[in-house]
Amino acid sequence: MTDAERETVRAFISRHVHDLKVGDDEDLFATGYVNSLFAVQLVMWIERTFDVPLEGTDLDFANIRSVSAIGAFVDRKREALAGGGGWTST
Amino acid sequence: MGTAGAVTYRIALDPPVPRTHANELSTRVFFVSEAIRDFALVPSESPSASPSGGGSGGEAGIGAVRVTVDEGTDLDDLARKVRFVVANDVLRQRRPEPKVVWRGTADGTVRDVFDDLRGRGAVWEAGEGQIGVGEPVLSLMDRLDGRIRALVAAEFGAEEHRYPTLIPTSAMRRCGYLRSFPQLTMFVARLHGDVDTYRTFLDELAAGADPSGALRSHAGDADHCLPPTMCFHTYHRFADAPLPGGAATVTARGKSFRYEARYRRSLERLWDFTIREVVLLGPRDRVLADRRRLMERAWDLMDDLGLGGRCEVAGDPFFADAGTAERVWSQHLLELKYELRLPLDGDRDVAVASFNFHDRFFGESFGIGGADGPVHTSCAGFGLERLAYAFLCRHGADPARWPARVRKAVEG
Repeated sequence: MTDAERETVRAFISRHVHDLKVGDDEDLFATGYVNSLFAVQLVMWIERTFDVPLEGTDLDFANIRSVSAIGAFVDRKREALAGGGGWTST
Repeated sequence: MGTAGAVTYRIALDPPVPRTHANELSTRVFFVSEAIRDFALVPSESPSASPSGGGSGGEAGIGAVRVTVDEGTDLDDLARKVRFVVANDVLRQRRPEPKVVWRGTADGTVRDVFDDLRGRGAVWEAGEGQIGVGEPVLSLMDRLDGRIRALVAAEFGAEEHRYPTLIPTSAMRRCGYLRSFPQLTMFVARLHGDVDTYRTFLDELAAGADPSGALRSHAGDADHCLPPTMCFHTYHRFADAPLPGGAATVTARGKSFRYEARYRRSLERLWDFTIREVVLLGPRDRVLADRRRLMERAWDLMDDLGLGGRCEVAGDPFFADAGTAERVWSQHLLELKYELRLPLDGDRDVAVASFNFHDRFFGESFGIGGADGPVHTSCAGFGLERLAYAFLCRHGADPARWPARVRKAVEG
């Protein structure tokens, strides 16, 4: 994930935590500023913005819990998708 | 179908419902309409919907619901209702892979003993979803409850409280229960307080009127509900004030009520049942850690009782509201709910306990102040009829034949 993309993730999150500064490794859902439905919005937004589907085992809290986790997930997913058909997620 | 006054009708689903979502559909069909007496999900040959709109989709799913309904039912209207629930509650869900966090081991086989219990007079079907119990079910429920109560007192210093049965409708509304579970809510009805109302009501009954119809004409306010579980009483009790010390652990046992329509079954799914509940209130890290520790102690107890089973991530049966599907899949995604499930026979199992984390939802909705803003909460509920029933399906209906080790464990 490029620095610009990472900044896009930070900006999206920032809009949902009342412009609070959230560290890249900080657990978004422990801030107390987002409710559980934010997880659903975040999944849909990641799919739309980075054009990676989240299905089955991808739908794991560990993949969306922080800016860093989202970055790592998108990178893994792109690598798998670029590898041709029948991608699997980790 | 052989049922008198009933017709069978096939409601096609286009696109088909994915097999991964079949359970979400089958747990909602009876709530679509009371006209539905029975139903079956019909597999489809064509590919099912891919809820995300991306990916491969692909597998055959559920292509129709075959319903048996009262004769004279408006079938087009019923199909509209079924398709609304499929689109709103089911298809919009995404289903993460099932996640099991614990598996127990147990000796021997497990067999449904409901008929044995009925034969022995240990259970008596008082009405729909209502079952009276005698020995050995009665003592077993009390003893299992005693083990849980002792565990939460020793481990968490839980304070015991006993609540009235009735709970104000305003408390249930305040936390969105009515929006979340309108299908389960049990209201307490009474006549409007007026001497002429009572006299007219009695006159109508004496003239042969149906009590339900007469009540509808003369009912008072629906200002109280029967509680669906005990935790709402605890939030109501601490409402609109700072929580002393910023944390509390409360346990209560009480009768709980959920209208389960035709899903009612044996001691597995009752409208009127008993819950031992533990509510954890306090800072986020503490209530999450305590929820985990409580789950682990519950698993130890299942091992001690020789019950087997598993504990897995689960969701609630939210129904027919805007955002219903999203709420179910965010629960799964964030692992807000775990269920402890025990087998009843070779195919079926039942959730005997759930362990829930609500973040600040109840702290906010009930105005319960914590150390730093609204308090965080978790709660765990143990269904005592279900737990006793799963125990009896594992160890048999005759206490004399329970393994000595198990008998000792029950007696604590």
